[in-house]
Amino acid sequence: MPSWWKRSHILVLAGLVVFHLILISIQVPLGSETKYFERAVFFVFSPVQKGVVSAFRGVQSVWTNYFDLRRVREDNQRLKQELFFLNQEKRFLEDRLLLFRSEAEVRDNLAAFRSSLIAARVIGADAGNYYRSLIVNKGSLDGVKPDMAVCDRLGNLVGRTISPVSLNEAMVQLITDQESSVSVISATDRIVGIMSGKQGTFCVLKYILSSMRGGQEGEDLITTGFDKIYPAGIRVGQILSIRPTPSVFKEIVVKPYFSFSTLDAVAILPRVSGGAE
Amino acid sequence: MRGALLRDILWAALAVGASFAFYSLLGGFGPAALLVVNAFSLVVVTFSIGKGEVFGAILGAVCGLLQDSFSLGIFGLAGLTKTLLGFWTGYISRRMDVTPFFRGAAFLLVMSSLELGLWLLLNAFVLGERLDVRYGLVFLQPLVTAVLGSLLLNIARRIRARRA
Repeated sequence: MPSWWKRSHILVLAGLVVFHLILISIQVPLGSETKYFERAVFFVFSPVQKGVVSAFRGVQSVWTNYFDLRRVREDNQRLKQELFFLNQEKRFLEDRLLLFRSEAEVRDNLAAFRSSLIAARVIGADAGNYYRSLIVNKGSLDGVKPDMAVCDRLGNLVGRTISPVSLNEAMVQLITDQESSVSVISATDRIVGIMSGKQGTFCVLKYILSSMRGGQEGEDLITTGFDKIYPAGIRVGQILSIRPTPSVFKEIVVKPYFSFSTLDAVAILPRVSGGAE
Repeated sequence: MRGALLRDILWAALAVGASFAFYSLLGGFGPAALLVVNAFSLVVVTFSIGKGEVFGAILGAVCGLLQDSFSLGIFGLAGLTKTLLGFWTGYISRRMDVTPFFRGAAFLLVMSSLELGLWLLLNAFVLGERLDVRYGLVFLQPLVTAVLGSLLLNIARRIRARRA
């Protein structure tokens, strides 16, 4: 083999390595903001992903619908869908009641809420760190925009939509991502803090002073709406442990209510001007 | 020469498409399985052994960047590790016989483990965080890649031998 050929191999490797290093170093100071190149790849391949999953689900649904108790299956699906919307409404009503709104206002809000709710299916997960993001089958054509709250079947907070949002798909940043932030309040002792992802499937409640009283293990956390992304009153998780630290803040570990194993259908909530009053 | 190269590129594109479809199905139906089976790595190692280090490096970059596009991490981390995986798998496999199933599997196990180790290290270095390895589930990934990769290579070799 001639020496120039061998050298060209090393040059290809060196070129690719330098290209990746530049790509990585550009992003590091900017955080996880998506780049045009990344966005372009997402736009091109996300419809393929949706097509593959839809085709597979289509085949699966034809098989199960026609060969396996057709009528019962259809009824079950209809009821499941109804339950999905009812759960979202129930949570919404609880939230409004918590905020002591009037009945008429609740009714008006509920009608508006139901019409703007977007039901979506999960079509992809993060191959590298699957507790950080997922991909859903609804995009800008369905009214999805970045920074819309996403809940699971039972109305528990899952995360928010982030860029890139393509025509028919969107990426969702999970609340278990370390770079996510949700303004939350504890249901009993009314402790307000910022919740972020911890390593893995847990979260941490930040900036609670060690000197501050209140807060118990097992206490529910709900959104405050202060962040103007997540509507107030959505169930987020439960305090798992509270430990004092040498710093000025307590270490509070939170277990989110949503479960990865049952995360197939989600609800994308309309954006609100929000904020607990 | 050019025809053969075009055919190789077409096969590689089909393999990338198939691995993307497989990745989409796993993501849609069992996200945890994505930790155990990395279809992109599988494509990179099988093509690197068959087509050499340059082909492997370029295919590694394409597959890695595709994986990064659907991940919230730093764009380019998987691209870099898969480029190195493709290059070194192709380079070393030219200098040693990896045809027998178990030897091939052992070789791919070492290469995939190094790729995973580098990826975890880079993540820790760039993001400053330790990744959740899901109770060690992610460490099964090199083993699955090695066994499936060696199996695919052996099947491809048998098909080629039968045709010849």
